[in-house]
This record gives sequence, structure tokens and C-alpha cells, in this order.
Amino acid sequence: MKNLKLIAGVILFGSLWGFSEVIIGSGINETGIPTGAIMTGFFALFFLVFSRISFKKPGMQLGMGLVAGSLKLFNPFVGCHLCSAIAIMAEGAIFELIWYKFALDDYNLSSIKMKSSIGIITAYLTYISGYIITQVLTPIVSGANFYIENLIVFIPNILGGGLIAAVIGGITVPIALLIYKFDFSIKDTLYYPTSIGISILCWILVIGNWLIA
Amino acid sequence: MGKEKIIPILAFVILIIAGTSQAYVFITQNEKETLTINNEEYTIDQLFIIGETKTIQTIEGEKSGVSFEDLMNKIGIECTDCHTYTIIGSDGYQQTVEWELMKTGVISDDKTVYFPDTAKKFWVKDIIEIEVK
Repeated sequence: MKNLKLIAGVILFGSLWGFSEVIIGSGINETGIPTGAIMTGFFALFFLVFSRISFKKPGMQLGMGLVAGSLKLFNPFVGCHLCSAIAIMAEGAIFELIWYKFALDDYNLSSIKMKSSIGIITAYLTYISGYIITQVLTPIVSGANFYIENLIVFIPNILGGGLIAAVIGGITVPIALLIYKFDFSIKDTLYYPTSIGISILCWILVIGNWLIA
Repeated sequence: MGKEKIIPILAFVILIIAGTSQAYVFITQNEKETLTINNEEYTIDQLFIIGETKTIQTIEGEKSGVSFEDLMNKIGIECTDCHTYTIIGSDGYQQTVEWELMKTGVISDDKTVYFPDTAKKFWVKDIIEIEVK
């Protein structure tokens, strides 16, 4: 039963993350502001941290990345959004690696300084690692050659691009931890229909958005 | 030293690295009106006069521009499929592609390079140079 609850949680938070990447991310992208850093620093980090402290199950965020990446990959169904789908999946995996070292006890997260610091570190490392992994994997997955020199010359841009993600992450983690303090626990009889219902709604909205566009 | 000291220091170091990198990128950004192809300077208007324009279907809809297949032949690149092509943007972003992909691409009037049915990673904005290697 616990595993079933975890799987429902993975699908729920993964779908919410994927939905925000596809719908909100596309909207932000049209304004010309740095979408990737905002999506990682706020939306991705919020769902990753909130789910981690709620379920306290390592491995869950990797699954969420796969669900969110799948939603991005298959939207629009006739196109190829390989880069961002790989980046999302990679972010889930990197978050797991970073938070493996952060023991989630009250001691670590007792002060606002610690919360913000963990947010900055997580958002920055997740963003730059996701970016680099995407640059390496996309050509390989799409059958093109990977040229390491193209990545090396762009490293300063990647390191600098993570600044916005880091700053936003420093605000997001305290917010996620503050929201967690409110009691959101619901009965199992409501948990499963709500989780599946919200997940289905996310997928329908993404598909509907593609059909309307 | 405990975690309560290491983690804030690490966060501070990260902000310093990111800020310094941003400053470096800003200072070294290369803005110029012309673009260099195989060591020759061209304006974008010249490229539109030299090469034929075509429209391709990309993952973000139709994009129009000068066809690389036509352009490279007309500016005198010999044995086009013997080379690789490194497309460099003003922000330092660059992509190296084989002729098989290069010949399918276009350069638009805002100096962005597009390829049909490829991930956006291969697109380069505001290009300043194409190296023929």
C-alpha cells in the first residue's frame, strides 16, 4: 500500500512538474526572459523539495523526472523536444545525488540561512549539470556527433547562466519548507482519486494545449 | 567544521563563481555587424544576395533563410562534404555539424541558423562566424 502511495505521488508531482514546464515554461519563453533558470530554480526545485520532505523517499525524484520529461518529450506529439526532456530527466537524477548528502533532519534546516543555502546549492548544481548532460546526450541520442570543444568554450556561459537559478533557488526552498509546515494530509480514500485526477488533468491540459495551438 | 558552516560557505562560493562567470561572458561577448565564413567577411544582406532562400519545417514551425547547400557552393567551398562546419554565436555558443546536416539548414535575416527536424540545441542565434574545417 505504501509503494502504491509512492507511485501515485511520483505520477502526481511528475505530472505537475511536466505541466509547468510545458504550459508555464512555454509562456515564459515567449517573453524572452531566461526560462531554463526560472523553471529549474522555482518550479522544478519546489516540486522536488516538497515531494522529498513530504514522502522522505530517496529515488522518488528520479521517477518524477522521468514522468515530467516524458510529458515534455511527447509535447507536441509530432515534434522533438529532446533537449528539454533530457534536461528534466537529468535534473531529477542530479537532485537525487545532491540530496543524498543532505540529511533532512531539523538540525540541517533549522535556520533561514541553511534553507536558502541548500536552495542555492541545489538549484545551481541541478541547473548546470542538467545543461551539461543535455549538451552531451542530445547529439548522441539524435544520432549526431558530439564535439567536446563546443561544450568547453561554452562552460563560462553555463556557469554564469546558473546564477539566476541559484538566486531563485535560495528563495524557493524556504517557501517549500514553509508550505510543508501546513498539514496537507488527506485520507487514502481521497488521496488516490485526487492524485490520479490532478495527474490526468495535467496530461489533458498539455494535450489540449497542443491541439489548440 | 560542521555542516551548518560548510553549506552557507559553499552557497556563497557558488554565487561568486556564477557572478564572475556572468561578468566574464558579458565582457567577452563578441558583437559585430558582419559574419565570417571560411575567413571571409559578409554582411547578412550580402548572403541573401549570394544564396538562394528556402523555407524549412522545424520543430517550431516554418523558418526561412539562405540555404547553406547553395551558399557554401557559391562562396567557393570545395568538396563541401569533406569538411565539418563550426557555427559560432556572439554569446560563444557553437555547434559543429557534418555536411549532411549543414546542407539542410538555413540562416535567417536575424542571423539565426536553423535545421529541420533537429533538437533546438543545434540552432545557433546571432552567428558571427562559420569555421570550415
